[in-house]
Amino acid sequence: MKTRMLSILGRSAAWARNHKLRTAALVLVLVAFMPHAGNGQFLDPCCAILAAGLTTISNTLGNVVGGNLNSILSIEQSISNFEQQVVWPVNLINQARALVGNLQGTFNQIQGLSQISVNSATLPESRQLEQNLLSHDPNQIAQTTAAYDALYGTVPAETDASAQVRDLIDMTDAAAQTAMKRAIEIDALADLELEAAGRINQSVQNAAPGSAPIVEAQAGAWLIRANAYTQAATADLMRLRAVDLADSSAELKMGASNTANLRQGLINLLEHN
Amino acid sequence: MRGRRWALDFALGLGSVALLAHVSWWVLRRQNRRHLVAVVLVAVLVVSLAAPPLARAQGSVMAAIQAVLNVINGVIQTALHEINDVRAALNNFYQSVTWPVELIRQARIEVQQMMSQYRNLMASILRMNLESATLPIPQALETLIRDHRVDNFSGLAQAFGNAYRTIPLPTDASPEDRAVADIDDALTLDNLKLLKATDDATDLELQAADSIENAAAQAAPGSTPFLTAAAAASSIRSQALAQKMLAAELRQEAARMAHGNELRKHGATFTAQLRGVLVNLLQHN
Repeated sequence: MKTRMLSILGRSAAWARNHKLRTAALVLVLVAFMPHAGNGQFLDPCCAILAAGLTTISNTLGNVVGGNLNSILSIEQSISNFEQQVVWPVNLINQARALVGNLQGTFNQIQGLSQISVNSATLPESRQLEQNLLSHDPNQIAQTTAAYDALYGTVPAETDASAQVRDLIDMTDAAAQTAMKRAIEIDALADLELEAAGRINQSVQNAAPGSAPIVEAQAGAWLIRANAYTQAATADLMRLRAVDLADSSAELKMGASNTANLRQGLINLLEHN
Repeated sequence: MRGRRWALDFALGLGSVALLAHVSWWVLRRQNRRHLVAVVLVAVLVVSLAAPPLARAQGSVMAAIQAVLNVINGVIQTALHEINDVRAALNNFYQSVTWPVELIRQARIEVQQMMSQYRNLMASILRMNLESATLPIPQALETLIRDHRVDNFSGLAQAFGNAYRTIPLPTDASPEDRAVADIDDALTLDNLKLLKATDDATDLELQAADSIENAAAQAAPGSTPFLTAAAAASSIRSQALAQKMLAAELRQEAARMAHGNELRKHGATFTAQLRGVLVNLLQHN
């Protein structure tokens, strides 16, 4: 084996001596195709600069970005704690919701009280009018006049009373009937308001602190509406009393007129005698 | 991406080996010296162009690093400082202007002070005994109409009958008079019953108001909307009850006027009847 190797080397050396140019060309080609050496990461100056730069970037990120972000985080935590402990503490929100739930029970009692039957009439005609007046049903307003007339009678015939008296009777009946009809309307409105108040209370129980002001605004609007209905009822009561006062005044005037007529009649009678 | 890069490197390596084999074969086989020199020069030139030694661009690396540092120290740092300032200002605004803890505490104390100052005083005023009747029957009626109870309406009707008498018998009064007396009594009793119920409801409303005020004394700014909404709903109910009372007052007042008007109608009828009687009397004489 060794002899064979020596033989091959001898022949190669002989070929190289005989073909100097080819040997030189071959060496040149092999050198050209020789792989380049890799750059070591620890000894290469370019990598060292890169490493130093990256370290600087890292330090800067840590100090500038990290430091500021930590500061922001600290403030955010402070805000979060403040909001959760002072502004919107969950336990107090739940307590408020629970209170609203308890109040619903109280309000149901109140609604029950407002629906208790208070009918008291005993005779047929008065019972019919009372039933109509306490119906809380605006559809029954159409029957109020008939029930009223059945109980209190109608305006006397022209032969039975003077025009003045008939006017007074008609006006007083009209005022009384209108007030009774208005009372039915107001009862119906009040029932609807109680129903709406119950629904609003239910909404409050299901609300979040951020949505409760919306329910609150709605309740405020309903309260304004309720105040308006109260004013309308008060206005009707005042109208009724005004008509009553005018009626008393008319009685006084008619009495004076009748007295004057009587006096004149007596004077005429005495003069004739 | 990485897979594509690896495939490219593999192809380049394979090409280099093939080129080396080919050029070596040319060097060994070519007889013409000029051809040989030309082939070798071309091969060296191709290899030099295709795979140049790695460039050492130290200046551009430094510039890139500096650019990154400039961005961090400039734009990012400024933005973070500003965010920090804004959040700090917001935090300060919340705690000193919008929800100052001290003022929240003071408001709670104020609610508690008002509760202790007014609640019992007002309750005692409302509970004062106003009953004034001196005789047994009126006393019984007065007690019943002011007892805030809704479970004794029959007793109320009985006491009312004792004090104001019952409807006359058909033999003792005309049907018209009996009917008018009955509706007068009915509407009076209706209202007295309604007032007993309303008194009871008023007590419940006052309890609700106390509960809401108690809660307000411990509330946080975030829980008060629930209380104010509940209070508003309670106010609507209160208004509804006030309207029912006004409706009852309207009925009662209307009935009173209708009663007076009925007497007037009755008077007209009597007058017409009397006139007829007198005319008949004069005609007979």
